[in-house]
Amino acid sequence: MKNSQRKFIKPFLKSGEWLEGLSISAWGALLLKYWLTSELYILIHPNYFALSIAGGFVLLGLGIWKLWQSFRQYKNRLKAGQLSNQLLDQSSTNPKNQHITLFPANLSNILLLTTALIGLTTTPQVFASETALQRGLTESLPVTRLQTQNFRTATKPGDRSLVEWVRTVNAYPEPDAYTNQPVKVTGFVLHPPGLTDQYFWIARFILTCCAADAYPIGLPVKIETGNSTQYARDTWIELTGNMITQELNGKRQLTILAKEIKPIPKPKNPYEY
Amino acid sequence: MSSTLSNQFNNLFTLFFSLLVEAIPFLLLGVLFSGILLWFVDERKLIAILPRHPFFGALVGSLVGFLFPVCECGNVPVARRLLMQGIPPQVAVSFLLAAPTLNPIVIWSTWVAFRDQPEIVLLRVLFSLIIATTIGWVFSFQKDLRPLLQPAIARFLPDPNLAEYPDSVLISPLLKSGTFLLGESEKPLRLDAMPMWEATMNPALPLKNRENEKKSSWFVVPDQAGIIAMLNSMVQELRELGGMLVLGSAIAAIIQVAIPRELVLSLGQGQISSIVAMLLLASIVSICSTVDAFFALSFAGAFTSGSLLAFLVFGPMIDIKSVGLMLSIFKPRAIVYLIVLAAQLTFVMTLLVNLYAS
Repeated sequence: MKNSQRKFIKPFLKSGEWLEGLSISAWGALLLKYWLTSELYILIHPNYFALSIAGGFVLLGLGIWKLWQSFRQYKNRLKAGQLSNQLLDQSSTNPKNQHITLFPANLSNILLLTTALIGLTTTPQVFASETALQRGLTESLPVTRLQTQNFRTATKPGDRSLVEWVRTVNAYPEPDAYTNQPVKVTGFVLHPPGLTDQYFWIARFILTCCAADAYPIGLPVKIETGNSTQYARDTWIELTGNMITQELNGKRQLTILAKEIKPIPKPKNPYEY
Repeated sequence: MSSTLSNQFNNLFTLFFSLLVEAIPFLLLGVLFSGILLWFVDERKLIAILPRHPFFGALVGSLVGFLFPVCECGNVPVARRLLMQGIPPQVAVSFLLAAPTLNPIVIWSTWVAFRDQPEIVLLRVLFSLIIATTIGWVFSFQKDLRPLLQPAIARFLPDPNLAEYPDSVLISPLLKSGTFLLGESEKPLRLDAMPMWEATMNPALPLKNRENEKKSSWFVVPDQAGIIAMLNSMVQELRELGGMLVLGSAIAAIIQVAIPRELVLSLGQGQISSIVAMLLLASIVSICSTVDAFFALSFAGAFTSGSLLAFLVFGPMIDIKSVGLMLSIFKPRAIVYLIVLAAQLTFVMTLLVNLYAS
């Protein structure tokens, strides 16, 4: 930066006119941060990644342009001797520029900047067992969700994911039809109330667009040796076993008989679609 | 329990940021369109071709929303400026109510969310069209809109009583009081009786002879000053609307986390209670119409389809965010009319859906 511009930086910083450009760039930076750290997977469906990423770039560009513009305008006004502390729009006499605002200008900016800073400094948490129980863990898909249009056993049982198992069971609910089929799924451990020590549930969240509509699905698991409490809730595991039918809470239900339970690290993308 | 509380807080933040990250790109898109419209489109041409018939004008006004694919955040400034230019009240009001829903982006996002229930998409469009046209038609009975508008807007509008003064009466115009343009044509033109769009066209020529005006294009060629002005107005609108979006998302996230699901589920099945609950929810949650279909989807298992429709139809028209923005155009009394009419019409139509169609 030229020397002639350097002496304007300090008064510019004091004037607070950088607030608008900064709040917009901060939001652009936040969107890009979510993309680069893959935290975007926790928040929205991958179909919308492109929109959010493009939005991030545009916001960042716009914010930086605004910062630069505010600096130049401030410098010009200082030079011309019209020092002012307000956000003065040079073309404010043009009726097209007369935005009638509800919020005072600074309040909006502060709101945007604060939320962006919170987002930049925190990590969004994946939904876990408590939310699953609160939202109603179920082994069935709610009626209005995407239905399986046609039931094809194209995927071998050993290759099906938890969600695919749940969709299969929804299409043909009779549990005995799946007895002894091999199972290998991943999910997190859940202890719903009303189960004995030999049982727990393995669950995942399904996402249609964004975290607001995430809902849990899962299947019960039976272990032959040991106690289910040794698997703490919210632990992510890879489960290998076979399908059996058990009667739980008075209802015949498809259950996984566990042969091998292996803890795995929390996956980058915890949802299925 | 502290772990439940911290879990609730975690959920709150995740939900909050998820809503914002989803909505901000659409807001940006809307602000972009609004900026292009403001600086690079000649809206006088648009206004000149709008019909003045009370009902038909309202219908066309609803459909004009297809040109402006922004959520309700974006069309309030557009409607405000069109009003200042002098379009008939029924067109402005029906545009204001219908544009958030009747545009390609919202229809697309509704279809994506409710792919397996196309009737919801269809009914959303149909109901919004009917309601917006009806309310616009109701407003057409108010010939002079100025008592309902905020003073800053009202002063741009001409006095319609003056415009209807018959020319055949043999009193010299110069004996009346008012603002006149002299020397532009054979008789003095009354400036305060013309809408602004007419006054800024060449007033000396009668409308049908303005061939040169007709040949000029709808778009203004962008120059550097125009682009800078557009970027500035985009930044300003982003700031205004971004603040409201943050508040709306915070309220939405808090409601989702704080209200236990059993309470929500218990309301969801009643024919009437579900609709009322959804009307309230739609007005409180204030989600952008471009993404509200996904929010509604999360209640799809527990609520009647009539109530989901009520959310999708009423939400884009009236919510905390848009009422705040509309206060920059209308006086509170007019906004109350809008709210009551929209709520009643939505309630009746979705109740019929609940009773007869599901």
